[in-house]
Amino acid sequence: MMALTEMRRGSKGKVVDLGSVSMLVRRRLCDLGVTEGAVVSVRKMLPFGGPCTIESNGQWIAIRRKEAQAMRVEAL
Amino acid sequence: MISVALVGNPNTGKTSLFNALTRSYEYVGNWAGVTVEKKVGVLLDKRGELVDLPGVYSLSPLSKDEAVTTEYMLQSAPDVVLNVVDASQIERNLHLTLQLAEYGHPLVIALNMTDVAEGRGLKIDPARLSALLGATVVPVIARTEKGCVELLQEIVQPGAHPTPAKVDYGPLLEAAIAKLEARIPEQPRAGRWLALQFLEGNETVAEWLKTLFPAEWLERFYRTTESDIAAQTNCRGLPQYIRERRAERIKDILEACCQRTRTESSSLSEKLDALATHRWLGIPIFLLFMYLTFKLTFDWFGTPISDRLDALLSGPVSTGLARLLQQLGAADFIQAVVLNGIVAGVGGVLVFVPQIFMLFLIISFIEDSGYMARIATVMDKLMEGAGLNGKTFIPMIIGFGCNVPGIMAARTIEQPRERLLTILLTPLMSCSARLSVYSLFVGVFFQSHKAIIVFSLYVLGVVVALALAKLFSRTLARNEASMFVVELPPYRIPQWKTLARSTWEKGKGFVRKAGTFIFGGSVLIWLLSYTGIRGWNVPIDQSFMRAIGSGVAPILEPLGFGNWQAGAALITGFLAKEVVVSTMGIIYATSSEASLQQTLGLFFTPLQAYSFMVFILLYVPCLATVGVIRKETNSAKWTWFSVGYALIVAYLLALLIYRVGLLLGFH
Repeated sequence: MMALTEMRRGSKGKVVDLGSVSMLVRRRLCDLGVTEGAVVSVRKMLPFGGPCTIESNGQWIAIRRKEAQAMRVEAL
Repeated sequence: MISVALVGNPNTGKTSLFNALTRSYEYVGNWAGVTVEKKVGVLLDKRGELVDLPGVYSLSPLSKDEAVTTEYMLQSAPDVVLNVVDASQIERNLHLTLQLAEYGHPLVIALNMTDVAEGRGLKIDPARLSALLGATVVPVIARTEKGCVELLQEIVQPGAHPTPAKVDYGPLLEAAIAKLEARIPEQPRAGRWLALQFLEGNETVAEWLKTLFPAEWLERFYRTTESDIAAQTNCRGLPQYIRERRAERIKDILEACCQRTRTESSSLSEKLDALATHRWLGIPIFLLFMYLTFKLTFDWFGTPISDRLDALLSGPVSTGLARLLQQLGAADFIQAVVLNGIVAGVGGVLVFVPQIFMLFLIISFIEDSGYMARIATVMDKLMEGAGLNGKTFIPMIIGFGCNVPGIMAARTIEQPRERLLTILLTPLMSCSARLSVYSLFVGVFFQSHKAIIVFSLYVLGVVVALALAKLFSRTLARNEASMFVVELPPYRIPQWKTLARSTWEKGKGFVRKAGTFIFGGSVLIWLLSYTGIRGWNVPIDQSFMRAIGSGVAPILEPLGFGNWQAGAALITGFLAKEVVVSTMGIIYATSSEASLQQTLGLFFTPLQAYSFMVFILLYVPCLATVGVIRKETNSAKWTWFSVGYALIVAYLLALLIYRVGLLLGFH
């Protein structure tokens, strides 16, 4: 298990735990289909600790680095 | 007439479909959160009324625009629910569909973007989907209006709708649902839907139920149910449990009616994103894009056409009108009001129509292409530093067109504090009305650097907004976590028809304003400059206008434009910023732009002109904007604050720029 941000760019992983992601963000991610068990991949990280874009099920989402670090994933 | 509610996830094409089904021209775009309030239209066959609602992922609202939809579903009882489903994201979309099925009213599904889904190798069988959901399913492509005729027929077919299917939530929860449902009195919405929404944590529904049951009872009921479920499963709470049951059901449905021919490959969107959200180039590319916008607006396209329009207005149109009035034997007074009032005032503003339409065309392009969400992403870090988030930049970009829709767009921002700050700061975005003032001044004083001077004003507006956001978020608004989650929709090439339509819809307001507000304002201003204490037709130096302008002139003296004409123009500019141009046209008693420009050259130096433009950029939101701030903040205090801080900041900055400019040897 590792943080989403530790994943190799472009490789796929499965979301294991969203428990430490802030409540509102977790709900939004859940709305977008990113819940425990969803397959995600990291696409881009913007500089200076800027947002990171992830891909899940064909859709692209930008979230903050801090939140991405709180997402625990498992490499596939 | 039946009433039909249009509900669906954000950015699934609800408004496109609304426009196709009602022949309306409502605002469409390619990002989540274009529609922020409900809109009503009459169906093409005149047999029903269609209500377009803001996009939602579920019926439990997180933001203000989402609450509009939940409240509508709770207050009204539409005869038919029309659910737009994005076929390419069907799995996520069906979560909402299942909630709408529970609502208990006939459900019609418009399966949109089937072309996009098929492009990604996903084929959906509409007949099977229909049978599994207990809803009519019609495949459509809303952008090209394919399938809309069939959809219309299905909506208005009376009594032909199947009964929506139910999800089985397991014996424990079903028992709880039944218990609550039995206590809810008969009413237009299904009790099961209310019970489920309540158990899912929908606060709007919970508030509504509190009018029926004691709050403590409801809370106890919720907690008992939650602990019962928690004892049996490993779910963290009821919302998660309910969501998982739905997800299972959706999986079954999709297995039965979907065919995946291939998994997707890297797309064009990805290649474009490599550039648009590039690590280092993201912000520079955005700035370059904005700079090119001003190049197009001023140097390459807008101004040349504007000049021709001006020549037409000040030449043939003015002389023609003058001759006509003379032939008709119109009184001197009438001649003066038409030529010196209306032609100078309204004509002075109308000549900027080409520039403004050019700007609107580019804003429409940003909205429709999908670039909007990318701008929000690359700006997030910068905005976070100022105590906001990247999404708050979307209202600001819309504000470049007009501040009023910009402030409305702030409804999509989830956190109340960030939303308030966005509402307060969006008026600092330089809108198209201010563009007409800049156009006039750069044409006189900065002939060879038009685009860069105007660009600097736009950037100044953004920089001031960010600096104030930082200040306000530290002092005024209490601390609250910031959040940023934004969907990046696939890019698409905007259709010319959509671009032309949304440019016209935005620009129309400007032209209409010229015909009504500015027309009336011009007559009034002319009257003030034509009359004085001594009566009618006084020299302008003895007019009421001069008296008014002289009142504020001394205050403006330190900023470099202490003449009464500037003072009068600024006061009237509160009505609408274009009125500044009208007022100057009337005061300097010219009917053509060319001679107004010559006259201006006598009253201002370039540095004073720049200081004046900075003041115009910042000084107060216009009347319409103040109105919308009042409505959106629902607070007189914040409305006054928005006017007050803007005046102070405008004064200090114009002063600073003028004084430092003088020290540096500019004039």
